This record gives sequence, structure tokens and C-alpha cells, in this order.
Amino acid sequence: MIAEQGTIPVLEAQSLTRRFGGLVAVNDVSFSVNSGEIFGLIGPNGAGKTTLFNVVTGLIPASGGHLLFNGEALLRQRPHQIAAKGIARTFQNIRLFGALSALENVMIAQHVHTRSGVLKGVLGLPPAPQEEKAIRAKATELLELVGLGDRTSEQAKNFSYGDQRRLEIARALALNPKVLLLDEPAAGMNPNEKHQLSDFIRDLRDRFSLTILLIEHHVPLVMGLCDRIAVLDFGQLIALGEPDRVRTDPAVIAAYLGNE
Amino acid sequence: MDDFVATYGPLLISMLLGAMLGLSLYLPLMAGQLSLASPGFYALGGYIAAILSTQAFKTDAALFPVPLLLVEMAIAGVVCGVLGVLVGIPALRLSGIYLAIATIAFVEILRILSLNLEITGGAVGIFGIPQPFDSAIEYLWIVLPLLGLSMVFVYRLENIRVGRALSAIREDELAADAMGINPTHYKVLAFTLGAILAGMVGAISAHFLNTWNARQGTFDASIIYLTFVLIGGSRTYLGPVVGGMVFTALPEILRAAGDTPGLPLWLGQLLKDGRLIIFGLLIVLGTIFFPQGLVRPGVLKRRAKGGRTS
Repeated sequence: MIAEQGTIPVLEAQSLTRRFGGLVAVNDVSFSVNSGEIFGLIGPNGAGKTTLFNVVTGLIPASGGHLLFNGEALLRQRPHQIAAKGIARTFQNIRLFGALSALENVMIAQHVHTRSGVLKGVLGLPPAPQEEKAIRAKATELLELVGLGDRTSEQAKNFSYGDQRRLEIARALALNPKVLLLDEPAAGMNPNEKHQLSDFIRDLRDRFSLTILLIEHHVPLVMGLCDRIAVLDFGQLIALGEPDRVRTDPAVIAAYLGNE
Repeated sequence: MDDFVATYGPLLISMLLGAMLGLSLYLPLMAGQLSLASPGFYALGGYIAAILSTQAFKTDAALFPVPLLLVEMAIAGVVCGVLGVLVGIPALRLSGIYLAIATIAFVEILRILSLNLEITGGAVGIFGIPQPFDSAIEYLWIVLPLLGLSMVFVYRLENIRVGRALSAIREDELAADAMGINPTHYKVLAFTLGAILAGMVGAISAHFLNTWNARQGTFDASIIYLTFVLIGGSRTYLGPVVGGMVFTALPEILRAAGDTPGLPLWLGQLLKDGRLIIFGLLIVLGTIFFPQGLVRPGVLKRRAKGGRTS
């Protein structure tokens, strides 16, 4: 419904490939994600979903193909440059700054939106104090949004698994991204939380005008939430389309249940 | 009182210098980078001061002018800062133990160079470095403000944007990168700040010790400074300051203890000359029992909170 004709793709992968020695983790994958879309990425374990996320965020280089963000080439850029352009992510295996407080975690992610260097910071000269105040306020606001408003000074490593996932989302949002990549956001959540998560992600999309890519194993969640879904199997894109079409695609059924 | 100052003045100055050397190693460690390069920059700063004061800044005055000492410190800071950037950019591509090894190599290269160059006086070193003060204790005029400034600097650094970027890299470099922080930039920055501080401390020490030679920047010194930080505390700026002071004083205390009558001969010898053995043991035991050092941020916070509520 949102993927109407004529919309410009925010993110476009053309024949994206990543090899690890003889293994082709991402094999000639092409797709484009439209502005404001919630785009699901599913597939059996080892299908190359997280590798694809890592290539998009620059954590591992691609072996071939092209990747465009608003028409601009992303490959060969460093992760921090890609983040600064407006692509934020969470991690499947949660990578918070464990010894730091929740507030600091979210403040750190506003790094690219602040300028003050060592000297101005140490001496407290403008714009350092103003920036400090602004990012603190925004961090508090984001923590309240994800429901951690009363635990801002706790160390991130002391949070429960689900709360750590929430904190990761708050941290990613602090980058002020245009595209948000969520790697298994529902992992470790109970059915009730999973249900709320759908509404929460939709709400985030509307509130921050985001485009969201998400990897998720919980099929009902993906089917109910995503505008379009791409299915990866052994690194190859085997299906792409709206949830109803993907659900009935023979190739998808074969990938999940095995042939015959 | 005068006796006390005359006896312990030099030790006090050494302790404060030790605190700053601890801080110079702590700075790269804020970004999680275990660099042992501080003695190299310390030695270099000392040579700069020694050469300048014995050759370029010759005066007839009885005391070496303090402003010239400040100029030497500034030059040492700038030179070590530039060298820090040049060494840091390639070296900080390495991480963990490999960075430690590379920085040991750097210290070793500087040591061999200073042993063989004419300008550094070869193995003999440089003698008769002029004194800016009448007595050792007066070095406090230079050392105390510099220590104060560097402590305030690091304390502030821990609470601002740049310092948070360093902590983020220490906690998880990859995640920091994905959150828009350029790890290389900040690692080199922290390394360079440490280099500048070590260079300035070296410039003071050259005057303070009156003589400067290749024994100032050695692997032994690397291990001693590492003890300052690892045992003192690697998670708050107070750790290396306390560690630097305590572990500079410790060998002197042990030396006195070694003279205690009735002690077995070997124990007396160990206490007097075995400071590297003892420091090595402390590093091993400390990392097992106090992985974050003796002075930890949590301890301080709890104290502060307790004080407020009671």
C-alpha cells in the first residue's frame, strides 16, 4: 500500500554479494526499500540475513554489487560514515556499552549531531554546555519512549534481555536515522510483549518518519507488521513481495519445510 | 621540618610525577587501548629539555629561568604530540596485546637511538642539566599546577562528548563505529594526549634529576607505569593518580623495610632490589582480585551517596 509506484527507493541493493571463502553468504541479492516502508527480511538460520545487515551498515565489506542510499553509493564507506548519513541499527546479539549507564548509551549515539571537541568540552565553552543539555534531554525522552525512563542511571549490562533490546532501539533512534535496521527485535520477548512490539514499531515509523528493515523469526509478527517481505535462503533472494503472496510462495514453503 | 622536607622533598616530587605518568597511560586506556609508549615520550621530552637547557638556552644566571623551563615543556609537548599522531595512526590499527608489543618496540627504538646518537650523549647521557630552583621541594611550583591541571582535564574529559566516545570505544568498538563514532580518530586522539603529557613530565624530570640518559625510557618503566594504572585503578582518573603516587613511594618504603634488623638476608635483598618482581606479582594478583584496580568509580559514588543521605 505504501510501496506505490513512483516512490523513490530509500535503500537499493543491486546484485549485492558477500563471500566468506567458498561460502556465498549473500548471493546476488537485489531489492529496493521505499520511504516509509516496513520491510521484513526472513529466512532459515544461516540464510545470510545478518550478513546483509552487516554489509548495509558497513561492518563487513561487500564482495560485489552496489548499494545505494537515496541514490548515493554506500559501499566502501566506513560504518561511522554510514551511521552519520542516517542508517542506524540494533544487533542480534545485543551490543550495548555495558559498563555505561542507559542514559550515556543513548547520549553517545547523538555523537554525530554534536560538534564540541576536547578543548571546548573540557573548558565548558559554547557550544559544549548547550549540546550537553540538549542531548541529555533527548536521551531522557527516548528512554521514556521505550519505557526505561525511570532507570536512566542504571548500567546497561544490568538490564534484562528484553530491556536491553529496548535500550538498543532507543540508542539507534538517538542517531536520528532515516532508516532503522532491527535485527530480531522480538527475540527473548514473551507473546504479550511480541504483540505490543508490532504496535510499537509501527508507532516509531510514524513518529520519526522512518523506513524500517527488520529481521525476525517470529512469522506471525512479520506477516502482520511488514508491508513487504524478502525471503533469503542460502544467501539467495527466493521471494519478495507482500506478506500474503510470500506466505503462499512455493519456494518459500520449500525453504522452510524442505522439498517434497 | 626542614630535615623532613630535605629528606622527603625529592620523593614527594617523584610521586607527583609518577601520578602524571600514570595519567599518561590512562588516557589511551580510556579508549580501551593498552599502550606502553609513555616511557618513550617521557624520555623524548626529557632529552628535548636536556639538550635545550644545556645548549640552546645557556645562561649565566645561578638558577635556570623558570619561563624557559615552561618553553621547554611546551616544545616537548608539541614534539611528542606530533610524534604521537605519527606513531598512533599506524600503531592503533593493532589492538590488545599487539598494540602493547608495538608500543614496547617504539620505546625500544627510541632507547637504542638515544644510546647511539651524539646529540643525546650516547650511553653516558647528558649531565649537569641546570636547576631552576634552589631545592627539590620547590619543583612543587611546576609539578603541582601541572598535576592539578591534568587531573581536572581528565576528570572533565570523562564527562564530555569526547570522553563518552572514548568509553564507547572501550566498551564495544564495533558498536561505537555503528553509532557514528570514528574509532581511529578517537584512539589516536587519546594516544596523543597521553604522549603530550608524558613528554611534558619528561621535560620537568630532566631538570629534576639533573642528568638524563637512555635508562629513562625502558621496558621496565613501561611495566612500572602499567602497575600505576592497573593496580591504582583503570576506570577513574583517580586510579592512576593514587597508583602513581603509591607505587613511586613503595620502593623507598620497601628499601627501608629491607633494612629492618633480624630479617633473613634474602628477604632484605628482595625488598631492596626486587621491585620489578614485586610489581610483577602485584600486577598478576591485582588483575585476579581487583580487575578494575583499587580505586573504582563505584566505590567513590557509593561513598558520595552515603555521605549525602547520612
